Amino acid sequence: MTNLGVIDCDIHHNIPDIKAIFPYLPRRYKEQIETWGPLHGGFGHNGGRHGRRFDAFPDGEQAGSNLDFMIKQHFEEYNVKYGILTGEFSSAAMVGDPYYAAALCSAYNDYTIEHWLEKDQRLRGSIVIPYHDIAASVKEIERVGSHPQMVQAYVLGGAAHPYGQRNYHPIYEACLKHGLHFAIHVGAEGASRNATTTGAGYPSYYIEGRAARPQVFMAHMASFVFEGVFELYPELKVIFIEAGVFWIAPYFWRLDQDWKALRPQTPWVEKKPSEYLQTNMYYGSQPLEEVPNKALFDQMLEASFAKDRMLFCSDYPHWDFDSPKLTFPKMEKSLLDNVLYNNAAKLYGLPLQNGTEE
Amino acid sequence: MARHYIGTTDQFPVGEATLVQVGGRKLGIYRFDDDQFHALLNYCPHQGAELCRGPVTSWLRSPKPGEFQYEKEGEIVRCPWHGWEFDIRSGCMVVDHKVRTLTYDVTVERFDVSVDEGKVYVKI
Ligand code: FES
Repeated sequence: MTNLGVIDCDIHHNIPDIKAIFPYLPRRYKEQIETWGPLHGGFGHNGGRHGRRFDAFPDGEQAGSNLDFMIKQHFEEYNVKYGILTGEFSSAAMVGDPYYAAALCSAYNDYTIEHWLEKDQRLRGSIVIPYHDIAASVKEIERVGSHPQMVQAYVLGGAAHPYGQRNYHPIYEACLKHGLHFAIHVGAEGASRNATTTGAGYPSYYIEGRAARPQVFMAHMASFVFEGVFELYPELKVIFIEAGVFWIAPYFWRLDQDWKALRPQTPWVEKKPSEYLQTNMYYGSQPLEEVPNKALFDQMLEASFAKDRMLFCSDYPHWDFDSPKLTFPKMEKSLLDNVLYNNAAKLYGLPLQNGTEE
Repeated sequence: MARHYIGTTDQFPVGEATLVQVGGRKLGIYRFDDDQFHALLNYCPHQGAELCRGPVTSWLRSPKPGEFQYEKEGEIVRCPWHGWEFDIRSGCMVVDHKVRTLTYDVTVERFDVSVDEGKVYVKI
């Protein structure tokens, strides 16, 4: 394995129990939770044990909820130098009551700051926002966005409208004001008030919805490009996490081809769609597709601009965890170093290691 | 190949692996209902999880959608990470015995276990 170590861009830290966020919640919602439970959802069947690795539950505690255990099982085992925390709480945005949704997100962000970021300088945080409510999302970014370890605003793929659309733009303005990126992680497709899991409707089984995640990310990606988000906000960086990788190349081939013919409909899009992919978008490596042979793997990697755009994500402690040691077939060292470390270091402003080109 | 003593039969419960270290290797020892013993290398050939920390289960099949049949009760270990299922007797991945994509081969190394007057030995 590379000697640079790893920057893991998708680590799901958790709260040990819903009561852990009570110190940050208004009385109204504490009482509501005590009577009814948290009542936020957005997820159905999953894999592993409650969606987690069987070996990731520290002594009966919630997986991902114990920092020391995580450091030992994950950071030390895989030489993880920095970790971007993505958490387990963005389903709070699926709650119908907008005041409660916003309160849950705020409480979780406060918990993350106090119990994770401020306990370990290797960690960076994602601001969970109640994204069905744009004004409340902006307010939350304003509230915690200047924390030095917060690096991005964070939403799930499941949405009511594609993320390029105008109503979301105040969120991007708030991100840029605080030097934050915008990260989209799969999840909650078809849940609550979100659009259906697939374009053909709601499937019955997890494997179907899971495999259809690229459909949802495709819609968001094209929306960013064709609504002109990157023309309006050229500095904005958008990160796509956990829908896999190798569908991205042929999808952008299609967009590039059709842009030539349909360009006059959205003339503000001045460059080929794939050029925005190379300047404004990043994607997580996980779950990496098992490509039938090495030659195809190399080609797909190149076609999807992995050298500069792919960020290593383990998804720890979820069951579909990808090991930084064994997920990738053999890769050229400079390429592997970029994927495991340098791309994320540059994106998140983390220390570059000796010998890395700026 | 050497014979290593690993304990007495009563130290090995049925239904879960007992993890042992033998000759520098980590193994999971499985005891079946019929008091047969099996040993697997505690390493999943997919991405290196500690395979023997996975649940011991059965091979679930179906004659048609909506119906379920359980076979090989207690003879399957499901990897604690991505859930690949291995037959404890043979060490083979159940759906795909042969070498698969890229670099890995999906058979787990297995070792012989013998029992002698209540004493359990592994041959490595
Ligand atoms: S590591 Fe065992 S199934 Fe992936």
